[in-house]
Amino acid sequence: MSEADYNPLPVSPEADHSAENERYHVFVNLALALAAITGVELVLVYLPINTVFIFTVLVSLSLFKFAAVIAWFMHLIYDKLLLTLAFGTGLAIAAGTYTALLFIMSNEYVAPPEIPGM
Amino acid sequence: MSTVTETPAPSTHTEDKHVLKPERSNLGLMRPDHNKSVLIDWLTTVDHKKIGIMYGAIALFFLLVGGVEALIIRTQLAFPENDLISAQRYNQLFTMHGTTMIFLAIMPLNAAFFNFLVPLQIGARDVAFPRINSFSLWAFVAGALVINFGWVLQAVEVMGLFSASGPTAGMNDFVPSMGWFGYAPITGIEFTGAGTDFWIMGLQILGVASLSAAMNFVVTIINMRAPGMKMMRLPVFTWMTLVVSLLIVFAFPAITIALAQLMFDRTFGTSFFVTAGGGQPILWQHLFWIFGHPEVYILVLPAMGIVSEVLPTFSKKPLFGYAIVVFSGAVIGFLGFAVWSHHMFTTGLGKVATAAFSLLTMAIAVPTGVKIFNWVGTLWGGRVRFAPPMIFALGFVWMFMMGGFSGIMHASAPADAQQQDSYFVIAHFHYVAIGGIFLAVVSGIYFWLPKIVGKMWKGKLSIWVAIFSTVGLNITFFPMHFLGLLGMPRRTHTYLEGFGWETYNLVCTIGSYILAFGIFLLVVDIIRCVRSGEPAGNDPWDARTLEWETTSPPQVYNFGRTPVIAARDALWEHKHGPENRRITYEEDDGHGIHMPSQSWMPMIASLGFVPLGLGLSLMQAGIPYMGYVAIFGLFMIALGVALWAIEGPGGYHLHPEEEK
Amino acid sequence: MSDSATHHEDGHKSLIIDNKKLLMWLFLGSDCMFFGTLISTHLIYRKLNPEEFDPTSMFSLELTSFSTFILLMSSFLMALAVSAMHKGQIKSFRRNTVGVIFFGLIFLACQVYEFTEFAHLGLTLESGTFGSTFYLMTGTHGVHVAIGVFWLICMLFYSYTGKMDAHESAVDVEVAGLYWHFVDIVWIIIFTVVYLIEFIGKV
Repeated sequence: MSEADYNPLPVSPEADHSAENERYHVFVNLALALAAITGVELVLVYLPINTVFIFTVLVSLSLFKFAAVIAWFMHLIYDKLLLTLAFGTGLAIAAGTYTALLFIMSNEYVAPPEIPGM
Repeated sequence: MSTVTETPAPSTHTEDKHVLKPERSNLGLMRPDHNKSVLIDWLTTVDHKKIGIMYGAIALFFLLVGGVEALIIRTQLAFPENDLISAQRYNQLFTMHGTTMIFLAIMPLNAAFFNFLVPLQIGARDVAFPRINSFSLWAFVAGALVINFGWVLQAVEVMGLFSASGPTAGMNDFVPSMGWFGYAPITGIEFTGAGTDFWIMGLQILGVASLSAAMNFVVTIINMRAPGMKMMRLPVFTWMTLVVSLLIVFAFPAITIALAQLMFDRTFGTSFFVTAGGGQPILWQHLFWIFGHPEVYILVLPAMGIVSEVLPTFSKKPLFGYAIVVFSGAVIGFLGFAVWSHHMFTTGLGKVATAAFSLLTMAIAVPTGVKIFNWVGTLWGGRVRFAPPMIFALGFVWMFMMGGFSGIMHASAPADAQQQDSYFVIAHFHYVAIGGIFLAVVSGIYFWLPKIVGKMWKGKLSIWVAIFSTVGLNITFFPMHFLGLLGMPRRTHTYLEGFGWETYNLVCTIGSYILAFGIFLLVVDIIRCVRSGEPAGNDPWDARTLEWETTSPPQVYNFGRTPVIAARDALWEHKHGPENRRITYEEDDGHGIHMPSQSWMPMIASLGFVPLGLGLSLMQAGIPYMGYVAIFGLFMIALGVALWAIEGPGGYHLHPEEEK
Repeated sequence: MSDSATHHEDGHKSLIIDNKKLLMWLFLGSDCMFFGTLISTHLIYRKLNPEEFDPTSMFSLELTSFSTFILLMSSFLMALAVSAMHKGQIKSFRRNTVGVIFFGLIFLACQVYEFTEFAHLGLTLESGTFGSTFYLMTGTHGVHVAIGVFWLICMLFYSYTGKMDAHESAVDVEVAGLYWHFVDIVWIIIFTVVYLIEFIGKV
C-alpha cells in the first residue's frame, strides 16, 4: 500500500499487521524529518539574519518536533481520544501556568526597583 | 467461608477445589495470601477496603495529634504575655499543626473514603492497580514518620543528649518551625535547622504517595466501571474523587520540584531561593501556591462529594441538578489552577496580574454558589430525616458558606491587603477546614461507618457531637474575624495587653476546648459503634448508590456477580423505580472471581523512603554515616520495585455462588 | 481472546484502553508539570540575571546537537521495537531495544562528559542561579534517561525468559516506549530553549 491510501484508524493488536507495516514507513520518514530539522536548526543559529525571525523559527520547529513525536512515535493519533485528553490537560495546565509565571516574574516587579530621584 | 479454586498459572485453570493455600511467586517465594496471621494479612493486603480502613485509622490518629497541637497553641494565647511555651516551640507547634492537619489528617481521611467507597460505588472488584494502592498507603506512613521524627530528636535534645553539628551546627530546631507553606528565605540553611529537612523530605514522600494513589483512582474510575455505569451515572462522590485525583496529578509536581530545589539549596549550596547567589525567594511562593491553591480544592471537593451523597439520601429526593453539580465541581477544580497568586497580592504582582487573579478568584465563587443552591434545591420539598449524617451535612452547608463569604472578601485585592497575615485569614480557612471539610467528613463517617464495620450507631450521642463541635467551632473562630480586623497578626507567640485582643482570645480558647470535647465525643461514639453496635444490614439508611447493595461489611470480592447498571442512583431505582431501571447481574461464567495476590513488595519499596528521608535529614544535623543510610533507602526502594515487577501479579479465584 | 486472558481479566473495561497505558499517559501529563517547573525556573533566572553567566562561552553546540540526534534516533528505534512487539516479532524487538539502550547510554555518556567539562570550567551548583537551574533540569532529565535505560535492560532480559505473553507484553513494551519518547520530547524542548536560543546572534 502506498502512503496515499493510508488510513489512520485505531487498530487492535489482534488485527492483521498491515497497519504496523505501514507505520514502519511513517516512522522512517519521521525519523528522517526529525534529523533534518535538527540539522536545519543548527544551521539557522549561525545565519546572520534577523534574530527575532530565527527565534520564531527555532521555537516553531521544536514545537513541530515535539508534536510529531507525540503524534506518531507515541501513537497518539492512532489511539483513543481520552489519552490525548489526559496528556493534553497536563500539557495545557503546565504551558498556561508557566507562561503566566514567566510574565509575572519580570524585572519590573521582582528585581529591586529603581527608586526615582535617588 | 467461600471455596477457592487455585490456579497455579494463568494458563492451567482447573476446577479442582482446594482449601485456601498460598502459591509461589515468580521469585520462588510464598505469596502472603490467606495468611493465618492477622498482622501479616493487613500488612500485605491489596484489598482497597482494608487499605481504606488503615488510611482512616491513621488519619484519625493524626487528627487528634494536630488537635492537641492546636489546643496547646490556643492555651498559650488565652492570656496576654503568657509564657506556657517558648516562641520557638510555638513556631514548631503551628507549623506542625498546619502540616499535620492538611497532609496527615484531611488528605488521608479523604483517601480513606476514596479507597473504601469508589470501587464499591462503581461496581468494581478493586482499584485498577491493587499493589500500587498498597504502595501509596505505606508511602504515606513513611512520610508521616519522617515528618514527625523531629519530635523524637527534639525530645532527646531537650534532655541534653544531642545537639546539632555539621551544616546546621548550633540550630537545635528539629521540628519544622517555618509555617506550613515554608516561605523562603527562612527555610534557608542559615536560618532553620534540621526540622526544615524533615519537612522537605516528609512532604516529598507524601507527594509520591498522593501522586501514585491519584493516578490509580483516575484509571479506576475511567476503566473499572461496571457495565451500564456511564460517566453521567456515577455517584457525585466518585465524580469528585475523579476531579480531585486529576488535581493531585497535575498540581503535586510543582511542589515536588520546589521541594527538590529547596533541598538542593540546603544540601548542595545551590541558589534557587538564596538572594546572595541571585535567587528570588518570591519564586518559592509562586511554585508553592501553584500547588497550594489546587491543594485547597483537593481538600474540599471530597467534602462536597460526601454532602452531595448525604443530602439526597436523607431528603428522599435525587440530587437537584446532578449534571450542574458535577460540572461546577470540575470547574472549581480547574479554575483552581488559575488563581494561585491571590495568596500573594501583597507581594506586588503588578496591576495586570493582580486584577486578573482577583477576577478569576471571584469567578470561582460562581460554581461554588451554584453547588450551594443545588444542595438547598435538593432539600426543597424533600422528606427530610434528621439522621446523624444529615445533621452534619446541613452543618456543612451553613458553615462552609460562612467560610466562603470571607473567602470572597479576600478575592478583592485592596481588602486582602488589610486582611493578609491577620487572624481574619485564620478565621476564613478554619471555617472552610473545620466548618466545611471536618463536618462533611464527620457526616461521611456517620453515613458510611455502618457499611465499613457492619454495625449501627448506638444512642443519640451524635447529637451531642454535633452540638459541641458546631458551637465550639463558632465560638473559636468567629471572634477571630474581629481579632484580625483589630490587627492581630497570625503566628503571634504572645501579645501585650491593651490592644483589645484579650477577651476575644480568651473566648477563642474556651471555644477550642468545647470543639475538642465534641471531637472526643466523636471518638467515643466511633468506639461504641465498632465495639458494640447492632448489626447494620445492607442498607440501613435507605440509600441510593451501589455500595449499599452489598453486605455490610462488604465481602472481600465486593460483588458476588457484577451488577449491570441501568440508571443513576442505581440502588434507589432498583428499590423504588420501574422494572427497566433495576440492577441486573451478569451471568456467572463459572470461572469464579479473580482476586489479586497479596504482596510484601509495595510495603518494602515504600518503607525504603524512611531511611532515605531520615538519612538525608539527619545528615544535615551532623550525624555521621547518614549518607549511607540514605543510599540504603534508595537501594531498598529500587529493590522493592524490581522484585515487585518480577514476582508477577499472581491471583486466585473465589467462588461465592457455589455456597448458596 | 485466549481462555487465560478471559478469566484473569481484572474487573470490567468500560472503554477499551489498557489500564497501564492510561496510567502512563497520566504520568506523562504529570511529568509535563515537573519539567514545566524546571524549565520555567531556568528561563526565569536567565531573564532576571542575564549578565550572571554567558553560556555560549561553555556550551558546545556540536556535542549537544550530536546527543540530540542520538536521542531522536533512539526514539525511532523504540517506535520500531514497539511495532515489532505488536507483530510478535521478538527478535526484531530485541535488536531494536539493544539499539535504544546503546543510544541511551551514548546520550548519558555525553551528558556526563558535558557536566565534568563544565565543572572544570567553573560552572558548578554553587556558582549561582545558572548553575543551579541548569544542573537540576538537565540532571533530572538525565535521571529519566537512566531509569529508561534500566527499564529497557530489564525488558530485554525478560524477553529471554520465555514468559512474554503476546498481548500483555506488547502493552508493557508500549508503555516503556511511551516513557522513552516522552524523555525524547523533553530533550527537544530543552535543546531549543536552553542551548540553541543562547547562540542566536552570538556566533
